[in-house]
Amino acid sequence: MASTVMATKPIALAKASPSLSPRKISIRAQAKPSSTSIPNLKSLTSKLLFSVPSIAMLAATPLPALAEMEKAGLFDFNLTLPIIAIEFLLLMVALDKLYFSPLGAFMDARDAKIRAELSEVKDTSAEVKELEEKAVAVMRAARAEIAAALSKMKKEMTAELEVKLAEEQARIELELAAAIDNLEKEKEEALRVLDAQIDALSEEIVRKVLPTT
Amino acid sequence: MDVISSSIKTYNIWFEISGVEVGQHLYWQIGGLQIHAQVLITSWVVIAILLVSVNIAVRNPQTIPTDGQNLFEYILEFIRDLSKTQIGDEYGPWIPFIGTMFLFIFVSNWSGALLPWKIIELPHGELAAPTNDINTTVALALLTSVAYFYAGLSKKGLSYFEKYIKPTPILLPINILEDFTKPLSLSFRLFGNILADELVVVVLVSLVPLVIPIPVMLLGLFTSGIQALIFATLAAAYIGESMEGHH
Repeated sequence: MASTVMATKPIALAKASPSLSPRKISIRAQAKPSSTSIPNLKSLTSKLLFSVPSIAMLAATPLPALAEMEKAGLFDFNLTLPIIAIEFLLLMVALDKLYFSPLGAFMDARDAKIRAELSEVKDTSAEVKELEEKAVAVMRAARAEIAAALSKMKKEMTAELEVKLAEEQARIELELAAAIDNLEKEKEEALRVLDAQIDALSEEIVRKVLPTT
Repeated sequence: MDVISSSIKTYNIWFEISGVEVGQHLYWQIGGLQIHAQVLITSWVVIAILLVSVNIAVRNPQTIPTDGQNLFEYILEFIRDLSKTQIGDEYGPWIPFIGTMFLFIFVSNWSGALLPWKIIELPHGELAAPTNDINTTVALALLTSVAYFYAGLSKKGLSYFEKYIKPTPILLPINILEDFTKPLSLSFRLFGNILADELVVVVLVSLVPLVIPIPVMLLGLFTSGIQALIFATLAAAYIGESMEGHH
């Protein structure tokens, strides 16, 4: 492939001009202005840099005329080099102002904000745990209070009840005692009456039974 | 003679069809100096693409990013990570340089592969990726050289030059040579990759225009992306290397 390409080139150039040599001279003339140009440090140093491999290439190729034309075509250093360098530096400044700095600052600010919020969230979860424990403790205390109050009430109620019970019992006993006393009295009364009657009766019986003499 | 002229005529026909225009440039003149105009034009397009897309996507940053903003945040994070890995903790000031290097080369390479430049016909030469020209790649490589020199000198002052005799003074010529081979290898790696990929695709298309070039074009997209990454990573590595040492 490369050989056909390289082979077509000189033939086409020959087609463009009657013979090969005027073309060679014109290309050399074309290459000349850039080499005798205003001393441009970059192009001079780059020419120094690249003269070595290009000379090596020249020595290596079998067709020196072709290689010379190729050199003018491919390794053609001119004002384009510094212009591209300047364009690149301007592009660098422009991209920095438009893109790298603003977007970079925005991304860093966003990262810092997210990190701050994350640490905040971690703190509030500890707070939440505290509150939970407090709530549990309060519940426990409330329950204990209720239990204590309940038991106290129970005790009071039972004490009251016992007092009442004791009162009633005492009253009942009194009444019972009174009733028993009454009954005793009545019994005694009845016995006395009976005794009296018995006496009377016995006298009557004696009178009736014994002859009256 | 007849045979030769007829074969030359055949070669001419093939040349017209294949239209490989290696080494043909559109020349403009400023003063006594020449410019490869096609490189300038395509670089302007690349810069326009970058600035416009950045402007649109990053206009009102939202806390929850939109699609465009998300993409550019991803790119910025990627560049930051790359710089941090290579340079270390003082990577902040170098992000614009490394980022612009990466984005410029990446968008240049992909624009060269994806955009239909051939539609615009130039009087001489053709439009293609701006990185297929030796001037662009050498400019970027020289900027990288200047950058790592600047990094070393601004951090260490004149004691930066001690690194040339660092392990042993015997390595002095090698260390000096390194200062030439670094930009050389950077520029030629990028230049060779992009130009060669373009050539391969053009030649394949001239032979079998329909389906066969597609895998090669996809490979070209992949490798050109990798080349952008490699250039940026190496630039960051050189900067980091010249800044390391005593703090």
